[in-house]
Amino acid sequence: MIYFNHAATSWPKPEEVKTAYMEAMNGLPSGQFRSAGVSDSGEIFGTCRARLARLLGTGETDRIFFTSGSTESLNLLFAGLKVPAPSIITTATEHNSVLRPLYNLTQIKGEPVVLPCDERGLLDPALFEEAAKKGKARAIVVNHCSNVTGAVQAMASIGEIAKRYGLLFVVDASQSAGCLPVEADLWRADAVAFTGHKSLLGPQGTGGFYLRSGVPFVPAKFGGTGLDSRRIVYEDGDFELEVGTQNACGIAALSAAAELLLSIGVPRIREKEKELTGRLKEGFRALPGLRLIDAGEDQGPVVSVQPLSLKPSDLAYILQNSYGIVTRAGLQCAPLIHEYLGTVPEGTLRISVGWSNTIEEIETLLGAMEEIL
Amino acid sequence: MKIVDRRKSLEACTESGWDAFDLLTEEALSDEDIEGMRGTGGSFLYMKQLKKPFFKIESHNFVIKGVRGDSFFRYALHRDAMEGLEAFVKKFS
Repeated sequence: MIYFNHAATSWPKPEEVKTAYMEAMNGLPSGQFRSAGVSDSGEIFGTCRARLARLLGTGETDRIFFTSGSTESLNLLFAGLKVPAPSIITTATEHNSVLRPLYNLTQIKGEPVVLPCDERGLLDPALFEEAAKKGKARAIVVNHCSNVTGAVQAMASIGEIAKRYGLLFVVDASQSAGCLPVEADLWRADAVAFTGHKSLLGPQGTGGFYLRSGVPFVPAKFGGTGLDSRRIVYEDGDFELEVGTQNACGIAALSAAAELLLSIGVPRIREKEKELTGRLKEGFRALPGLRLIDAGEDQGPVVSVQPLSLKPSDLAYILQNSYGIVTRAGLQCAPLIHEYLGTVPEGTLRISVGWSNTIEEIETLLGAMEEIL
Repeated sequence: MKIVDRRKSLEACTESGWDAFDLLTEEALSDEDIEGMRGTGGSFLYMKQLKKPFFKIESHNFVIKGVRGDSFFRYALHRDAMEGLEAFVKKFS
């Protein structure tokens, strides 16, 4: 089986990650601060935070908070930042993990301002400025790398606009953390949501968010933390953002994944995945019977095509069941971008590469596509 | 062809807005089995030139697709047309 669905979840997981998970499973169980024994789980959490902080480009190591993944992170961030949805500028490139909470969370309910993208999924920073100038906005929420086209947005420019107009800047790094440089401090991001199981190579059910210190925030979840148990009411606003028993095994595995990524280096990963997507795009350009959605030189490790004679879902089915190649078809849980790509209602066939893929696998895919189309 | 089991497809998102089931057959699908399903109606696509030929039967409220030689195929349908699936499974059980 050849796996090109890393934008959904990375596979196979590195041996280091599996080993760390099993070691944590077999080790003495304890919560983050609850251990009375010799467990070093607190150290595992802290080490993981430090590694993730490096991968997210922030020096605020202690402002990384664990969740079950990006979707939970984004829900918690939107609920906790308490910015009404109509005061939020977001974009057509967003995943439903952003759109659905913005449109449905009762705490902030309303319609956000949704900026368009171009036919490649790229955003124009000038449109953010135009929207910010109107004076009603209080926050910008934007996807670093599109999970549909791989379009990488001009985050530094958008962050600059957010600061100039005094807006909170929330970044969805679900598709970029681990495979593209994420620069929370450089971009002046106030919050960054990430998931552990995509390019961070960790297990599903891991992830979290970075929240800059000083950003007003009221958590949507409260519960046990193992600290100061007699305190029931938080009167000083000094909230605890990780409550309940944490996913220690998952975090141990995520920490091992982050260590591996740091040892390889994101630039090296980026270089390899760029080579793979570059060959993929070159091969697709030469194939009749499909339209390549080319998101340019800086494209992330995701490539979408629109087959002209078959539905994307049929092409994905043939690739998987006749050739043993796993891709993804449809709207990829990002419904609005397809209106700008011209791919409504069927969506696209998405090929997303990962660190473990090889150029030979790309050639096999191109050969299969040539036979089918 | 005999359908022996059905499983809700994990790829319902791919068949956007539809319910999809993978129907498991007693034996590998043959040309005869595929031709036999054509009687269900709808347009018929059969890509025999592929090493593992792909077929699709499609009407306004259902899609049947699969690969010759596999012991399963997919049946996707609108949520208000479940009786079509029941009748289909009954016919081939």
